Amino acid sequence: MPASLLTSIAWVVVGYGVVVAVAGGVGAWLRAPRPRWLDQMAWMLEALAVLLAAAGVGWWTHGHRPSSTSTFWGYLAAAVVVIPVTLQSLREERESWSSGAIAVAAVAIAVVAWRITVVK
Amino acid sequence: MRGPHLILLALYALFILASGSRAVVQIATKFSVAPLAYTLSAVAAVTYIVGWFAIRRAAHGRPRLAEVMLWVELGGVVVIGTLSLIEKQWFPDASVWSGYGQGYGWVPAALPVLALLWLHRTHDRTPAPNDEEVRA
Repeated sequence: MPASLLTSIAWVVVGYGVVVAVAGGVGAWLRAPRPRWLDQMAWMLEALAVLLAAAGVGWWTHGHRPSSTSTFWGYLAAAVVVIPVTLQSLREERESWSSGAIAVAAVAIAVVAWRITVVK
Repeated sequence: MRGPHLILLALYALFILASGSRAVVQIATKFSVAPLAYTLSAVAAVTYIVGWFAIRRAAHGRPRLAEVMLWVELGGVVVIGTLSLIEKQWFPDASVWSGYGQGYGWVPAALPVLALLWLHRTHDRTPAPNDEEVRA
């Protein structure tokens, strides 16, 4: 697993995370009920986060070592758990502010993915 | 449970994760490097946990805990942020609230302010019946 592949996937996650964050932020701003497609976008982000975590594991098993091991694994774990926990906690809420909460989670994923490119 | 506190709860949950995992790793792997800073990171994590519950209680009409905890949190950010700038030898490594949360884009400084604004907007208008019940 080349380091460049992990970096490329991480940047895709950063970019898509920003898209989801903007969509959630606009939804909260417009005070519209949370649309189903925003949940689907969030789950797509989760799929990318899982792909990023798998790439991170592959990168590790090929003998690469990050500058901070515990931080690296912490970031991979955080990238995978944030979206499911957020969506689960919002399962009863369809109001506009819940779109903002998804935006917060998406920003967090984007930041974590960016940090993975820094510590690897 | 409608309202902007959903965003606050999401932010607090993220900071529980971020500061909690940071404190655990720092204390477990290199506590002797900066014991004060790492202990304060753990204190910050506990503050965010209590803050999360306080905001949730306030959203259900019980703002007392939030009224205390949010000021405690803001005080912690201001005091530790200031100490980290004027007593740099006390902080060989950064804590969560060093430089007023500089390492987290100053979100730790903004968070209690935003939460206090939300608290006053929502609870200055409406009485807190459950707190009245508790006092009675």
